[in-house]
Amino acid sequence: MIGYILRRIGTSIVVLIGVSIFIFGLLHAIYPSPAIDVLGDRANSALVAAWNKQNGFDDPWFTQYLRYMGNLVRGNLGYSYKLNQGVSALLGEVWARSAWLSGVSLVLSVVIAIPLGVYQAIRRNTFGDYAATGLAFTVYAMPVFFLGLILIQLFALDLHWFSFEGSQSNSLLSIIVDWHAMTLPVVTLTLLTIASFSRYMRSTAMDVMAQDYIKVARAKGLPERLVLLRHLLRNACLPMVTLIGLSIPALLAGNLITETLFNYRGLGLLFYTALGNVDYNVLLAYTLIGAVLTIVGNLVADIALTVADPRIRLA
Amino acid sequence: MEVPRRMSAHVARVGVAGAAALLAVGIAACTSSSGSSTSAPSTSPSSSSSSGSSTTLAGSFGSVPAEASGTQHAGTITVAAPPNSAPTWIMPLITAADNSVFTVPEFDYQMFRPLYWLTDGTQPKEDPAMSLANDPVWSDGDTSVTFTLKSNYKWSDGQPITSQDVLFWYYQLKAALKESPANWAAYTPGLGIPDQVKSITAPNASTITMQLKAAVNPIWFWEDGIGAIQPMPAQTFDVDAAGGKPITDWATNPADATKIYNYLTAASKSVSTYASNPLWQTVDGPYKLSAFNATSGAFTLTPNAAYGGPHATTESTIEFVPFTSDAAEFNAVKAGTVDVGYLPLTDVPQSSTITSAYNEFGYGDWGWSYVTYNFKDTTGNFNNLINKLYIRQALAHLEDEPGYVKAFFYGAGAQGFGPVPATPVSPFAPSNAASNPYPFSTADAASILKANGWTVVPNGTDTCAKPGTGAGECGAGIPAGQKLEWNVIWNTSPSVIGEQVQDWASQAKTVGITMNLSSSNFNYMITNYNDPASPKTINKWAMEDFGGFTDSTYPTTFGVFNSTGSSNIGGYDDPQADKLITASVSSANPSAVTAEAEYLTTQQPSLFQPNPDGGFGTASIVAWSKSVSGTPQSFEGLTQDTWNPEYWFFTK
Repeated sequence: MIGYILRRIGTSIVVLIGVSIFIFGLLHAIYPSPAIDVLGDRANSALVAAWNKQNGFDDPWFTQYLRYMGNLVRGNLGYSYKLNQGVSALLGEVWARSAWLSGVSLVLSVVIAIPLGVYQAIRRNTFGDYAATGLAFTVYAMPVFFLGLILIQLFALDLHWFSFEGSQSNSLLSIIVDWHAMTLPVVTLTLLTIASFSRYMRSTAMDVMAQDYIKVARAKGLPERLVLLRHLLRNACLPMVTLIGLSIPALLAGNLITETLFNYRGLGLLFYTALGNVDYNVLLAYTLIGAVLTIVGNLVADIALTVADPRIRLA
Repeated sequence: MEVPRRMSAHVARVGVAGAAALLAVGIAACTSSSGSSTSAPSTSPSSSSSSGSSTTLAGSFGSVPAEASGTQHAGTITVAAPPNSAPTWIMPLITAADNSVFTVPEFDYQMFRPLYWLTDGTQPKEDPAMSLANDPVWSDGDTSVTFTLKSNYKWSDGQPITSQDVLFWYYQLKAALKESPANWAAYTPGLGIPDQVKSITAPNASTITMQLKAAVNPIWFWEDGIGAIQPMPAQTFDVDAAGGKPITDWATNPADATKIYNYLTAASKSVSTYASNPLWQTVDGPYKLSAFNATSGAFTLTPNAAYGGPHATTESTIEFVPFTSDAAEFNAVKAGTVDVGYLPLTDVPQSSTITSAYNEFGYGDWGWSYVTYNFKDTTGNFNNLINKLYIRQALAHLEDEPGYVKAFFYGAGAQGFGPVPATPVSPFAPSNAASNPYPFSTADAASILKANGWTVVPNGTDTCAKPGTGAGECGAGIPAGQKLEWNVIWNTSPSVIGEQVQDWASQAKTVGITMNLSSSNFNYMITNYNDPASPKTINKWAMEDFGGFTDSTYPTTFGVFNSTGSSNIGGYDDPQADKLITASVSSANPSAVTAEAEYLTTQQPSLFQPNPDGGFGTASIVAWSKSVSGTPQSFEGLTQDTWNPEYWFFTK
């Protein structure tokens, strides 16, 4: 087991290096230097060249990449020329906010989507299944931005049940207890994830229900509740583990829109702002974080699968 | 002089002089004669506040009510701050990189006032009551200028503002520019302050005299030069470390001036310490900074009890509340949680939903929007096409400006035919700004082409049928069979740019002109298609539309349309234009800039486009709660990104 995990971690590091080279090269090809942004629009070519030389942006791109990675290893993510702050400090100020929003949404999604999917599989082609399917399709087809706007208009501006914006507090504790402000952004993210997860869970649960061991369990006279809990749920959840692992970076992307819409300062908004400003180092850091989360999500999912199903690590 | 602007990307820059977007003068009162004063007609905001009627300007969206006459109440006035608007600089010597309407007029000017306040509502004229100095007096054939500081303005620690504070700023500027020309946003090599200054002296504690190397245009030098000076409290800033000993030889020892500058800039880069660093608490503006959130950009201004300028009887705290998107900001306005905010251009059709709680006002800001022509692009012989005036005239006839204002701006904008449009009203506007010299008419465009030797094929491709340089022929450098076809690159944000360009291209196609459209973004375009910065890409584009320029209130196009201008992106080169533009900055003629604008409106060095209403650094309508009042000018000025919250108060 330990050998398996070490092999997977080693592979992940190689993938991460490959991704970082690709991202760095791509960004460098589009924006070779932030000189114009730093010096202003009227900077002439001589001034730009002098600035590039002074800051190492005239070096070959791979040299710049190695320098960046060297700093990265030492915990230095670079400097935001636009915000006059270190990127590490910027990320440090907002990551917990994003993690809370994503984490709560993910947990709620899993807690609701798994039983919902099983229910739909058991009661397939009934009114309840049709209703849940219809709702899931409606929400799934809806852009995050649009769904958020509808929730704001209905529950914040018309009914005044919740705030139209997320918590503005800088204290994570205050954010956690501020359900009035956090309900709508959490619900927006959760609804979208439930729509996806429940459909997947319904499908896998139906597959498992057709398996022989379910028929055997029922033939033995095992109560339906135990058939579902002991035999169906555990096996049907295996693909969900992978899905949840893969959804972690997707939640980060989802945060971008949700945070922007609900005036909630987090990683997504930081990226959005950096995109508008062409804030070179922030863009790099955020994209690398996305890559790390993707790889870590996969790794965790793989490890969880091996724990849940020992046959996998033997394969 | 100007810098590029985006119409709604929330990074609108202050006019080129850094402070210059806030500076303006009344042209009629300006003179260059020896010993005269360049005084301008003054209108104190408070003087018109009791008019008792609302202000409606031609071309405006909505109106501004008169100042409420009842009891004034203090409180905390919340102001919406758009996305990406966090201030990033505080030292009153603004770098090019940090030069934005959010950092300068909205933030820095609230604490560190410029020498002259040359905006009055929507008008580019001085408000003498808010100027720190009396009007400059010129002598020696416009090579010497003297100004005196007023006694009513003091630093918040009780010390008077003296000529040493102005000199301190000047020598800090010299130290800044020695390190990099980018260290002052308003700097143009060889022009203005400090390159044209031969000497600067302080005969006494309140008088400063500048001797210049050559005669300048007094109005221009006032607005884009001395008007941009922000005195610094020399007695507080003259250190190179916190708690350090005063360094008093900054005027004579450049090394010591540099030490001070490096210390001040390091403090200015430390955004998380803005509110806590005592350095920034010695101010001469109406407010002190009491809170600053480096993460969100939120900040709070509390009244400076020692402020010597005009303000509301009962002063309020001003709290800037940042928003992550225009949609979030508009939700806040609809929910009534901000006192002063804006409606983004795209939400203007919903303006009626907030009229019960908010006043709304929209007006064009100084500047212009345009499609840049690339006079150096040899691809498809474009350079020889676009340098023909008749082709530029035909292209202007294909632009449906009234239609764009109605359909794309929802009425919140005004037509613009040249670099100085009729709206906003400006004393510098030329006579041909009022009516389009090349109104929308595809028939006229086709006629012009036919009259110059082209075979016009509607919805096809026009070709030159009569090559040559004579009357009725296509013109120099255009061979027989030449096609009218080129590429146009447009900025995707805001969408109105694309909407206008696409309509223009479709109209062009009806007379046989083919424009191949492709989209890009502001930063990429500025980085890759700006000729002075990237000459290698000059043949990659024929036309581009990145937005336009935010003007100084002195609207010369120096830098943009003069042949050697650093922002002359398309390489426009016209000796007559050069002569007129140079006159705007160096001649004694107070009407020089008007003559420049008139000529350029006729010559169409680019396609001038309609301008959306402005405010909050974006294309928007300004909105403020009906429970907040103040002088009409203090709200009108928001459309020009001029901030005077010191006049605001609660009515209940």
